[in-house]
Amino acid sequence: MSHLVRSELLKQRTTRTTLLLLVWMTALILLVTLLHVLSLSSAHISSLDGQLKVVGWGTGIGALFAALLGAMSITSEFRHGTIRPTLLASPRRERVIAAKLLAGALTSLLVGLLAEALTAGIEAAGLAARGIHIHLGAADYLQLLAGGAAAAALFAAIGVGIGAVVRQQIGAVVGLCVWLLLIETTLIGNIPSAGKYAPGAAAGAIAGAIQTQSASQLVAPVLGVVLLVAYAAIAAAAGTLATTRRDVA
Amino acid sequence: MRDEQLTTVNAVPGASGVIDSADAVVTVRGLSKHYGDFVALDRLTFTLTAGTITGFLGPNGAGKTTTLRLLLGLAEPTAGEALVFGRRYRDLEQPTGMVGAVLESGDFDPGRSGRNHLRMLALATGIPYERAEELLNLVELGRAADRPVRTYSLGMRQRLGLAAALLGDPELLLLDEPANGLDPAGVHWLRGFLQQLAAGGRTILISSHVLAEVAQTVHSALIITSGRLAGQVQLDQLEDGARSLEAAYLELTGTMS
Repeated sequence: MSHLVRSELLKQRTTRTTLLLLVWMTALILLVTLLHVLSLSSAHISSLDGQLKVVGWGTGIGALFAALLGAMSITSEFRHGTIRPTLLASPRRERVIAAKLLAGALTSLLVGLLAEALTAGIEAAGLAARGIHIHLGAADYLQLLAGGAAAAALFAAIGVGIGAVVRQQIGAVVGLCVWLLLIETTLIGNIPSAGKYAPGAAAGAIAGAIQTQSASQLVAPVLGVVLLVAYAAIAAAAGTLATTRRDVA
Repeated sequence: MRDEQLTTVNAVPGASGVIDSADAVVTVRGLSKHYGDFVALDRLTFTLTAGTITGFLGPNGAGKTTTLRLLLGLAEPTAGEALVFGRRYRDLEQPTGMVGAVLESGDFDPGRSGRNHLRMLALATGIPYERAEELLNLVELGRAADRPVRTYSLGMRQRLGLAAALLGDPELLLLDEPANGLDPAGVHWLRGFLQQLAAGGRTILISSHVLAEVAQTVHSALIITSGRLAGQVQLDQLEDGARSLEAAYLELTGTMS
């Protein structure tokens, strides 16, 4: 099993996809965080709640790119046909999916960490430039970094599962973006009682912050972990079934 | 080895009476594959014994690639079985050490280098990187090994595919249209390369729709059309190699009026 994980990690390193995802993520975080921290009124951003909502963009964007990384680790194999040599080398398909889950989760720990650190850093710099006191404490930052990394790792698993079911690269990427950026935001904005149980909101609960949502409207961190683990398990199971039951063209 | 070859079933459409011997490397028995109403393979039966080079001939769409995919466990048969070394591919302990395959689709990530393509497959099967280097030299890709595959010519891709198939030093090679798109020098290189591999006692199945290419390399030819076995030809029993293979092919596939 460990050699399959190492093979998957090598695959991640040997195309430009991973690097491009990280560049795009950094650019998006820079843009979004700067926009918020510089344009929001002092009244909005001087409170702990306001500052959490801005730094929470790191959670959402980190989760999104972790899911994309996971999804592309399998959809790119279907797109370019490398799934065939991959399955010839390891005909036990459930092992291939398991290796992709592990490799995706490992790399996404770093993706989540990077996303949260960037957002927190840019926000702190922006606030300092505007002369606004930072209300976030060491405990907040710790939860943000650790929680954001863990949430991203679980989102990578969700991405692998969805990618294995959908197989089509564009379909999986668009689906994940639409879900996290549009549907979840709409859901939690309009029906918060249900929306707080959605995967993105659960990631916010784990990290202590997600964009546009106050921590007070999210579930407890432990429940967030339980929810996100459950989502990841369901996606992984669906992806494994879809891969073991269907032909590879 | 030549006279130990499988039963000749000349011009027996849908022949099914081939008895698989103990040393059958490939056993295809009553193999069918349907896609909805479309019948890609219809009760195909044949066996390959160790040490033979067999051509797998038929028009485009005859079911050659489908047969290889079923043999390799990439797809599930609708009926019948496709076995390598008496077992399903997925049940082999060390599949890449027994079976190597080059599929027609040329399965590379265009952004990945040839060297890394081999390395990711070597890692997955616990094969040391030195073996990948050895093969890069063997297929004469050493100098291009660090370039992304998107910069490779068709011939270089075919050679990279061969190198990947040989990573585990398999006893059986399944090659899908390996000469496709090669220039004359590439075809010449490939022929020599395959003969060298065969001399080492390997069993090789080469699918092709280019008869002249196969005629100079193979011992016998399986001819299929519309998913059925049209017949099997022993090349050493033909009077005039390539030309009579062509006649047999045209007759068996019904493309001669």
